[in-house]
Amino acid sequence: MDEVEQMDVEQTEVQNVGYDDVPGTILTDTNAISEFLKKTKVQDVLNWGRKNSLWFTVNAMGCCGVELLATGMAHYDTDRFGIIPRNSPRHADVLIISGYVTKKYLPALKRVWDQMPSPKWCICFGDCAISGGPFYESYSTHQNIDDIFPIDVFVPGCPPRCEALIQAFVELQKKIEEKKDKGTEY
Amino acid sequence: MDANSIIASLSDKFPDEIYDTDIESNIRIVAKVKPENVVDVCRYLKDELSFGHLCCEFAADYPDRNGIEVIYVIGSYDHPVILTMKALLPRDKPEIESVVPVYWNANWYERETYDLFGVKYLNHPNLKPFIIPAEMIGEWPLRKDYKGFPNRTANNLV
Repeated sequence: MDEVEQMDVEQTEVQNVGYDDVPGTILTDTNAISEFLKKTKVQDVLNWGRKNSLWFTVNAMGCCGVELLATGMAHYDTDRFGIIPRNSPRHADVLIISGYVTKKYLPALKRVWDQMPSPKWCICFGDCAISGGPFYESYSTHQNIDDIFPIDVFVPGCPPRCEALIQAFVELQKKIEEKKDKGTEY
Repeated sequence: MDANSIIASLSDKFPDEIYDTDIESNIRIVAKVKPENVVDVCRYLKDELSFGHLCCEFAADYPDRNGIEVIYVIGSYDHPVILTMKALLPRDKPEIESVVPVYWNANWYERETYDLFGVKYLNHPNLKPFIIPAEMIGEWPLRKDYKGFPNRTANNLV
């Protein structure tokens, strides 16, 4: 109980210092700095860094997941684009929806998406993820997954080749460079 | 044992409970059982006729016959005969005794059949939703009169 009272006292003291009175000072507990930087050339440098380190979650959902895993292997050497497979969504920037999304799996996929730190991007990989594919109008799958996730790149195919996924990453890099991606609000 | 002797043994042991049998070939036989005697027949099959392997268990919906047929496919490690055992349940109240006490691997088969067809297994140890979300229980999606398919087309379907 004493600790809580002490914390309250400290917070009120900090708030009463009055940073708003000092001109040119921005409090760091808001998005004001990043909002300010988005209007300057610094954002170009940030985007250059972001587009060259697109780490993706290894979240193999359907048979397209095999292509996803193969893309992360040494044969395709995606490290030259800065694309690295990460086993934890907390390390990753890109979520690849690589298969049908069943009604039972959607809460888990949303949780994976929420665990990823922003800025984050989403790629729809394969016909199942785009429109349902062979599971179109099934009782157990979700159609229109792009209503739920902000998807930047769609990769059609059943399954798409690994080269197509690398191409999708290149397209995503172009979108980030042109500030047209959905992962950041400019 | 071959197909004929198995059918003869079953018919002698359960003259009333098994009301129809068929020998499709030397390795495939069919027996239609009354639903309330399924566990007894399964226990006899496992203990006496060495049918030790329940390959699968599922159901089929027949609206014209007003029944849901629960089908057990039972194999053996000792002889090459596979038995297909069928039990016809009324469609408005499909209830049957669980065969988990005889074949333990029927546990997940019966949960799946309960999810998709609504066949209620009495005395099942853990009859709860298995492969579909809990809020879909009661829709029974694999029945022929299921109306819950999404009629909203995909936006980006050309």
